[in-house]
Amino acid sequence: MSKEVIVTKNLSKTYGKGDLQVHALRKTNISIMQGDYIAIKGPSGSGKSTLMNLIGCLDKPTTGKLYIDNTDVYTLSENNLAKIRREKIGFIFQKYNLIPTLSALENVTLSMGFAGVDSKTRIRKAKKLLDMVELSHRISHKPSELSGGEQQRVAISRALGNDPTIVLGDEPTGNVDTKSGNKIMDILENINNQGETVIVVTHDPNIAKRARRILSIEDGVVREENV
Amino acid sequence: MFKDNFNLAYKNIKERMSRSILTLLGIAIGIMAIISLMGIGEGMNVAVEGELSSLSDTIIVTVGEGFSIFSFGQLEDTGEYLTERDITDLERISGVKEVNTQLTGMASLSFNGDGNNVMVTVTGMDIESMNLQYGLADLAEGNLLELGDQSKILIGYDVAHDYFDNDISIGSRVKINGKKFFVNGIFSRQGMGGVSTNDDLVLLTSRDFEKATGESNIYSATVTVYNVNEVESTALEIERVINENHGEEDFASATSMSSILDSIQSIMGILQTVLIAIASIALIVASIGIMNTMLTSVMERTREIGIMKAIGATNKDIMSIFIIEGLLLSIIGGASGIILGIFGSSGVATLLSNMGPGGGPPLVPVITFLAIALGLSVSMIVGIISSLYPAWKAAKMSPIEAVRYE
Repeated sequence: MSKEVIVTKNLSKTYGKGDLQVHALRKTNISIMQGDYIAIKGPSGSGKSTLMNLIGCLDKPTTGKLYIDNTDVYTLSENNLAKIRREKIGFIFQKYNLIPTLSALENVTLSMGFAGVDSKTRIRKAKKLLDMVELSHRISHKPSELSGGEQQRVAISRALGNDPTIVLGDEPTGNVDTKSGNKIMDILENINNQGETVIVVTHDPNIAKRARRILSIEDGVVREENV
Repeated sequence: MFKDNFNLAYKNIKERMSRSILTLLGIAIGIMAIISLMGIGEGMNVAVEGELSSLSDTIIVTVGEGFSIFSFGQLEDTGEYLTERDITDLERISGVKEVNTQLTGMASLSFNGDGNNVMVTVTGMDIESMNLQYGLADLAEGNLLELGDQSKILIGYDVAHDYFDNDISIGSRVKINGKKFFVNGIFSRQGMGGVSTNDDLVLLTSRDFEKATGESNIYSATVTVYNVNEVESTALEIERVINENHGEEDFASATSMSSILDSIQSIMGILQTVLIAIASIALIVASIGIMNTMLTSVMERTREIGIMKAIGATNKDIMSIFIIEGLLLSIIGGASGIILGIFGSSGVATLLSNMGPGGGPPLVPVITFLAIALGLSVSMIVGIISSLYPAWKAAKMSPIEAVRYE
C-alpha cells in the first residue's frame, strides 16, 4: 500500500477579526496518498485556493497542522520551508507566473538553480521537460512571445524540475482555451500515471471528472465526493 | 548559485535600461568628482615636491618676517640687511656646509638709450649660488653666467618683453644706473602658477651688483647643511646667532625648504579633504538614487519575488539577487566614474593652468592606484548599503501575498 504524502489535522484559515471574520477554511482533515490524482472543486470564494496555498506552503494556517511526508511543515523555519517548496512541491499557477525577463529554458532551470543543481544537469533536464510538453522549439522565447497554453506548459516543466513529490495546479486551465486546456490536463494525467501525486483545483466539472478523487469545498468545508 | 543570481540581476538591469543608466550616472558623477579632485591634488603635490624636495638641505635666511608660502616670489626690500659679520658667524655654525648671499637693491634700468628709465629690483649673487638656484632649464633663451663673466646679466620674461616698447633679446645692451650690461639669458615665463616667480628678476653677479649700485646690501643668505636631518635645528641656531648680533628678537628668520614643503602639503591636505567632502555629498545623493531605484524595482517585481519564493527561493536567494543588482549598478557606475574622472581631471588641470594671470606651468594630474581602488571600493560600499534595505524588504515578503499582487 502506498504511503500518505499529505495529511491535514484540523487545518483552518480565518481572515479578518470580530464581526468581519471570514472562515475561508474550517477544520479540515484530509489525507492524500502517494500517486493520488485529486480534483478540488467548488464555486469561487469557497476556499479551494486557500486550501491549495496551504498545501503548497505558500500561506500559513490560522490553526491546525499540515504534514508533508510526515514533516510538520508549519513548525519549520523560513529556510526549511523554502526547501520543502522547492524539493517536495511543484506549483502551477492559474496565471502561469513565469519570470518575464527570462527565456522558457531559464524559467525552467530557475527552480533547479535554487535547489543547487549544477548548470549542465539543469539545462539537460530542462530541455527534456520542455520536450515532454512539446516546446523544444521555443526554449529561447520569452514568456511574452508564447501563447497562454505554451506558457502554462513551460510552467508545468518548471514545476517538475526538482522531481517534486506533489504537483499542485491552481486552476491550471483557467486562462487557456479548451484545446490547450485538454492538452495541459493530458500532460498532468501522464505525470500522474508515472506515479506523481497530482492535485488540481478547478471549478470546471469536466476537468474534475478526470481525477480519481474529488474533494468539493463549500464555505470552507471540505467533503469527499464519490467518483 | 551566484552565477544565477547575477544573471537575474543583470537581466533586470537590462530590462530597465534607461532607469539603470540614470541611476549609475549618479554614482559615476560622484566617483568622477572624487577621482578628479584626488588626481589634481596629487598632481599639485608632486609638482610642489619636485620643485622643493631637491632643496631639502637648504635654509633661507632673510631679514624680517621671512619666507613663507604667502610671501613667496619677489621679496620686499625692508631697508635692513645682514652684515658681513653675520655671514662669517653663519659659516662657523657646526653642520653648515656653505653660505651664499644674495644682494638686493633698487636701480634704474634703461634700454636702447630711449631715455625710458624703469626702477627695478636688482639681485646680486655669487656664481656658485646662482648655479645652485637656477638651471639651464629655467631659461627660455641664452645661457647662465659663468665664473669670470663680467657685465653680463640674466633677466626675467616680463623685464624682457613688458618693461620697454621694444623686446630685449639675448646680447642686447642695457644700462643699470648708467652702467652697461649685456643680456646673457632670459628666464622662461612663470606666471602665478610657480612657487617663486623669476618674471621680474634682474640678476647679476655680486661683483657687478656692487659696481652698479655701489652697495653691498645682503638681503638674504642661502645656507646649505651637511645633514638633512639637522636642517631644523640649524635653522633655529642661525636665527639665534643673527638676532644676537643685531640685538633684536625678530631681526632675521631662517626657514628650511622642508618646513615650507610641510606647510604647503598640510594646506593642500586640508583643501583636498574639503573638496572630497563636497564630492561625498554627490555620492550620498547617488546612493539615495540607487536605493530609490531598487525600492521601485522591488515594488514592480513583487509578483516575481513571490513566484521565486513559491518555487523554492530562500530569503537569502532573494536578498542576494537584489544586492547583486545594486552592486552591479554601482560598480558599473563607479568604473565609468573613474574613467570620466581621469579625463575630467586633465580637463580641470588644463583649466586651472590657464587661469593664472601668467599662464603658469602645466599642472599634470596624477591618478594613483590608491585613488582608483578607493573609487571602486566606495562605489561598492554605496551599492551594498543602498540595496540592503530594498533587498531585505523583498526577502521578507510573504510568497502568497506577493504572488497575488497585481
